[in-house]
Amino acid sequence: MTATISTTSVTPIRRRRRSARLSPLLVAFVLVPFLVESIWVFWPALQGFWFSLTRWDGMSPPAFVGTDNYVELAGDATFRGALVNTVIWLVLFGGLSVLGGFGMALVLQKERRGVGFYRAALFTPVVFSLVVTALVWRVFYQPDGIADTLLRAVGLESLIRPWLADPQTALYAVILPALWRQIGYVMVLFLAGLKAIDPALHEAARMDGANSWQRLRHVTIPQLKGVNAVVLSVIVIDSLRSFDIVWSLTKGGPYHSSELLSTYMYSTAFQSLRLGYASAIAVVIFVLALAVILGYLVRAFREEA
Amino acid sequence: MSDFDPGRRRFLGHLGLAGLGALGASSFLTACASSASGPAAGNGSGAVTIQSNLSSPQAKAAMEKLIANFNAQGKGTASLNTIASETFRTQLPTYLTSANPPDLYTWYAGSVANDYASRNLLLDVSDVWKSLGDYPQSLRTLSTDASGKQIFVPMNNYWWGFFYRKSNFAKWGVQEPKTWTDFLALCETLKSKGVPPIGIGLGDTPWVASAWFDYLNIRINGAQFHRELLAGKQRFDDPKVKAVFTRWREVLPYFDPKGKAYPFQEATTALLAGKTGMFLIGTFFADAAPKDALGDLDFFRFPIIDPAVPLAEEAPTDGFFASAKTANPTGTRALLTYLASTEAQEAYVKASSGIVLPANPKAKASDSPLVVKGKAMLDEAKELTQFFNRDSSDALQPTADTALTKFIDKPDRIDAILREWQAGAEKVFKG
Repeated sequence: MTATISTTSVTPIRRRRRSARLSPLLVAFVLVPFLVESIWVFWPALQGFWFSLTRWDGMSPPAFVGTDNYVELAGDATFRGALVNTVIWLVLFGGLSVLGGFGMALVLQKERRGVGFYRAALFTPVVFSLVVTALVWRVFYQPDGIADTLLRAVGLESLIRPWLADPQTALYAVILPALWRQIGYVMVLFLAGLKAIDPALHEAARMDGANSWQRLRHVTIPQLKGVNAVVLSVIVIDSLRSFDIVWSLTKGGPYHSSELLSTYMYSTAFQSLRLGYASAIAVVIFVLALAVILGYLVRAFREEA
Repeated sequence: MSDFDPGRRRFLGHLGLAGLGALGASSFLTACASSASGPAAGNGSGAVTIQSNLSSPQAKAAMEKLIANFNAQGKGTASLNTIASETFRTQLPTYLTSANPPDLYTWYAGSVANDYASRNLLLDVSDVWKSLGDYPQSLRTLSTDASGKQIFVPMNNYWWGFFYRKSNFAKWGVQEPKTWTDFLALCETLKSKGVPPIGIGLGDTPWVASAWFDYLNIRINGAQFHRELLAGKQRFDDPKVKAVFTRWREVLPYFDPKGKAYPFQEATTALLAGKTGMFLIGTFFADAAPKDALGDLDFFRFPIIDPAVPLAEEAPTDGFFASAKTANPTGTRALLTYLASTEAQEAYVKASSGIVLPANPKAKASDSPLVVKGKAMLDEAKELTQFFNRDSSDALQPTADTALTKFIDKPDRIDAILREWQAGAEKVFKG
């Protein structure tokens, strides 16, 4: 922290001396994006908060109902299910993609022959749009599809079920393709972090007689602290905005068993046409995202101070 | 620190993104309805714009042909705007409430149209109906709103039934059933031959299950009760509704277990390949069937359960309504009059897949045996229903999807399912 200040504070002082007044160009660079954001993001978002206090079908004018929507949310079993599923999603999708991505990055960090191929192969799923990914996985899961054929080949017929239509498996069957894609992405983030670690640190640790586990635990992981912040925010954002893959595979069904907050919000708004109630769900999503990120931010600040 | 420096500034950047992402979630909801910005519409004398959800290749081509014919007549000009059906469905309220809406829309008759009419969003087309004197009373009633004016012009309707392949029924040595008892016997025979008797496709298209609910309800409780139930005047946890599910349970063991996992299009493929015996579906499924299989298809009406209940059939009616705010009501009415004409309706039947019945009684339907049989079935019916969402609303449909797919999975929990359904429906009716 102190180091950052001392290196960066030199230039601003010099610049300030050069121009006492604010450059109009600078003002424009700040104000124009702010105005655009205000119109397209902040204003609708504030409106969203207002709509969450109304009953609105999208046609008649919204009617103010106070906190009715939030009271209803508290007693809504589907909402609770979606909340639990979102937490499961956050833990499984987030946790496994960090573990998988980190593991893959460790395995593939050393420059060996053919390592580029494996990295590219793992990263390929990121290139596909999630809707395309969903189409591919649907073929995989369909009755008598690849998944069933594989299970039959190894004598596990008894496990075969309608993967996406069984409430026991639907959520997990959707997490898998999402992970398949996310691991490659997280791997690339970690690879960049690993590359940036000074080899001299490992050299020194080796000299001190640290084994490879100790070097991982006490050199690599602490050095990746900065990357972790990025990975965490990417994971939380990606988890809470996960919608496309779920919608294209199950639409939250069968009977809400793979419903996430995002899919529930969409179906409430655009299928049930209850835009006030859907706005209340959107506000909950916003608060959740803010809570997780702020929680991390506060901790990060405290450590740096 | 290392070269890779995700320090505070960078992190704050991400926080900002996260905030925006979440804010975006709510703005996403508001953007579409609060800033209603419909496509440009025709002005007083300009072209009538028609928003069409008929996006399947054949239907789209048929509509293009109709509009070209209309323009060639010189009574006005129209321009067609074809939109993917799911987008159309979600955007329709926005179109209608925007300040400068398109003039004319393809959509469904029944309570969906009446609901818009009750909000004064639809153009009074009683003038157009003056020239439709020979249309059957049933269609006129269907197109009339609560205040007694006509707000809808029907184009055609189609029917639902148990479709099967004639060659397969011959191979299995079975005949069309007439009564519920015959139907159960047929299912048993097919099952003993190793064929899953009843095909269904609920993955991605769970609304197909509503056909079963609709039919059982109109066969057991009658069309009147069915309509009242869907309008919120009866309760889903009523014992009469439970009776529907008790009946349904008798045939649940005969459903194709794979049907839960694939959409109706694949259920169609399964039926055509002889992997299922029969399939309760609307005639639109034939769009997904290869042409050479069409001649081998036949259907029978949903078996009679209680002969005392007046015979009703599902016959969803498609057609047009216009925006009350149209800048060109004269042109819009002229186009509607043309679309309702014998000439336009026959041209549509010829250009589209053809398994539809034109609304105009003078227009000739396709003379294929299938269409002749379908028409006879509907003519015989005392009452016609539309379909679950058309007799209620698109908003009520998801509550049915949840209840019905859950019932098919867990028939033992029917009491709890019906209670949840009633609670979900009340929320929808409340708004």
